[in-house]
Amino acid sequence: MLNNQLIKNEIFIIIAELIQDNAQVINDDTPLIGGDSLLDSMKLVELCLTLEDKATELGFEFDWTSDAAMSKSRSMFRTAGSLTIEFINQMETKK
Amino acid sequence: MIVVTGASKGLGRAICDRLISKGVPVFGIARNVENVPFLSMACDVSIYENVKAVSQRLKKDGVKVEGLINTAGIASMNLAVTTPSNVSQNIIHTNLLGTIYCCQLIAPLILRNKSGSIINFSTIAVALGLKGESIYAASKAGVEGFTRSFAREMADFNVNVNCIAPGPIDTNLLKGITTTQIQKIVLQQIIPKQFTPDSVCDLVELLLDKRSSSLSGQVLHVGGA
Repeated sequence: MLNNQLIKNEIFIIIAELIQDNAQVINDDTPLIGGDSLLDSMKLVELCLTLEDKATELGFEFDWTSDAAMSKSRSMFRTAGSLTIEFINQMETKK
Repeated sequence: MIVVTGASKGLGRAICDRLISKGVPVFGIARNVENVPFLSMACDVSIYENVKAVSQRLKKDGVKVEGLINTAGIASMNLAVTTPSNVSQNIIHTNLLGTIYCCQLIAPLILRNKSGSIINFSTIAVALGLKGESIYAASKAGVEGFTRSFAREMADFNVNVNCIAPGPIDTNLLKGITTTQIQKIVLQQIIPKQFTPDSVCDLVELLLDKRSSSLSGQVLHVGGA
């Protein structure tokens, strides 16, 4: 559990670094896609690549092309929180 | 490293041979790679999981992928009304979905470098609306549309995406087409002569060269259309 919290923090830091806005606090509800997203499409891909590397470091393969990746209602990219849940879920399933 | 699909024969093989002769490392993929004398892997581009396995291997091996050339393709010259549904599906799966799958799964390896070139393959049959090639032309028209949109998506990462659309080039793909039919198509090109795989290889070299970095989202017709 503690490990999962650390991973969550790391993912939020990665997102914050991509947004490049120190005033912006990243939380579970921070949107990653849609009109309110703080990430443009380029940053979103960069986020995926960074998470791919992070997953390799952690010993699993992060699949960001799953069926639900871009569905607005179910997408893992809905929010920073949903992305973190999917990342941890894939880690626990694939490890 | 340049990844080339359809690397075992025809234009794909000619392109691999040309690049290797110029000292460019090539990774070839094809359904059958038994007689492929360079680094290669068996893969049916119409099967997403097959393409994913290629991408995973390249990533695992730490290969720096600088380009992707999607030459894998099949053709079946027939009237649309007499084409069996499984043939239509095979054409769309291999030519259109195969190209899309390769772009989706190999591009992430390329855009990590923030530079690179992706070359897809269409056909003059699209521009000329050739009779008896409607399904083949439809699959390639899809490739052209995909290329233009995908080029915009990749532009953020300094990766160029273009499409080469040759007229009838002397390869196995032309098997079953008579010389008269080929001549009829060639005469509709702006330059009315049949070009060889060498001309296509020249264009591939040009599109891989940094000097063509201003070109993206373009369909280049060998022979002109």
